[in-house]
Amino acid sequence: MDMLDFFPSSILQAADTSWQTVTIAQRASSAFRDHDLSGTIGYLLLGLLFTAGLLTVLGLVLIYAERKLAGHFQCRLGPMRVGWHGILQSAADGLKLLLKEDIVPENADKLLHLGAPVLSLMATVLTLAILPLSPTLQVVDLNIGVIYVTAVTSLGVLAILIAGWSSNNKWSLLGAMRAGAQIISYELSATLSLLVMVLLSGSLQLSEIIQSQSDGWWIWKSHLVGVIAFVTFLISTTAELNRTPFDLPEGESELTGGFHTEYSGLRFAFFFLAEFVNMFVASALIVTLFFGGWMPFYIGGWDGFNSIMGLIPPGIWFAGKSAFFIFLLMWFRWTFPRLRIDQLMSLEWKILLPVGFINIFLAALIVLFEWHF
Amino acid sequence: MWNEAIHSLVFYFLAGLSILTAIAVVGSQRILRAALALAGVLICNAGFYVLLDFEFLAGVQVLVYVGGIVILVVFAIMLTSSVELVENHPSSHRKWIGALAASFFFLVTSSAFLSSDFPVDRNALRSIADVKLLGRKLLDYGAEGYVLPFEIISLLLLSVMIGGIIVARKAPQSEKKK
Repeated sequence: MDMLDFFPSSILQAADTSWQTVTIAQRASSAFRDHDLSGTIGYLLLGLLFTAGLLTVLGLVLIYAERKLAGHFQCRLGPMRVGWHGILQSAADGLKLLLKEDIVPENADKLLHLGAPVLSLMATVLTLAILPLSPTLQVVDLNIGVIYVTAVTSLGVLAILIAGWSSNNKWSLLGAMRAGAQIISYELSATLSLLVMVLLSGSLQLSEIIQSQSDGWWIWKSHLVGVIAFVTFLISTTAELNRTPFDLPEGESELTGGFHTEYSGLRFAFFFLAEFVNMFVASALIVTLFFGGWMPFYIGGWDGFNSIMGLIPPGIWFAGKSAFFIFLLMWFRWTFPRLRIDQLMSLEWKILLPVGFINIFLAALIVLFEWHF
Repeated sequence: MWNEAIHSLVFYFLAGLSILTAIAVVGSQRILRAALALAGVLICNAGFYVLLDFEFLAGVQVLVYVGGIVILVVFAIMLTSSVELVENHPSSHRKWIGALAASFFFLVTSSAFLSSDFPVDRNALRSIADVKLLGRKLLDYGAEGYVLPFEIISLLLLSVMIGGIIVARKAPQSEKKK
């Protein structure tokens, strides 16, 4: 059944090191317990600033990376003029978007039209707060982490639907309906893959899921089940992100711009930012669930190699691993052609969902009989 | 003391917000805004669960009600009505029946509220809030387990799903010709 049985079971297992995790929220509450008011407020502010800073930096870096990569995939140079190799291009674009006129269509539902981008960005920021970027770099460590992530991402769907409806434009409405149908469908198989990892690690808490991989990442440890869960999760998150091959909701040739056709200026920037940061959130989740989160890459028995790997700080490991998956998502965009709507739906309901159900059954068997390493 | 103060401050904030959004659900002229206000009420309820240390229930509340039911409602609205749709003036006959039903519902809920006392047992809450215990309780077929209602609900959902597929399915070509 599994290919990984050919390896001696020790080869991909790491030295057992336990990591002490301290989140910003824990620091704030311990300061509160010691009646240290300035410390409490300081840590709360630090949490807010960290999330806001992460959002800004991710927005700038990811948009630059997307444009640069798109350029090189097409044998172009990409942005080159603003700063060294165009490195300030995103900042210049951001400034342009801030200064642009903000147009609200004549017969739009004004309140909802203005509120939808904010809701979309809010859903993204709320997920950023619980990502474990390193043992000490996490704002809150909820004990229902995985459920929280799925619950909050569903708010993003609501934002897209409201945006499409309130624009009073048929392209927007059609784009929003497509996006909603697509995200709701693919959410099912993404959640099934998440459940497989919850079964294997025995916890809903993101930091505990990482801790459970201290003797080897789940992608190595869980036989074929983890690999299938990883592949379905990768496909379904790409669909949830509305990225090519699944970018029907905003296919320019069919729908002009999809649900954000009527948006301009700052409000368009909100949607844009939310989309790019969601890409990071998806990659970070893949890293957390399947690739050991902040854990370094160890090979069992190679002590010299392992000690060199251990020197690299966990935050760098997390950033590097998620950067790889972001690169993969951008690579997909220039590799695969767009699916047709019926192909999209049959891929989810006829292939991914049955595979997901069988996979979760197999995972339950593996956990029950403790077949995993 | 600080703990209590913050706790009750958050509680009254959530309570006020949920009452306001609940009024908006029934008072709004535009039906999509009413649906969104409903999402607001449900999120406030999730906030109450968090205050009671029921994080799991709060997560499930947002996941099922906001992520599932409200989005379904929004979809239904988008598929059936136009942007301009404002609630048309109902006939007096409908108004009377509505008022009667509402007052009966008010009577039933207020009598239930007045006739029951609400004991606070924090330890009992804590023990249920553990997800592992919750899972074991759901699949326990002993005297205190909930496996029978759990299975009945899943059967009900299955039959509803099959019913939905049959209703939504296109009639085959041969039957149409008859």
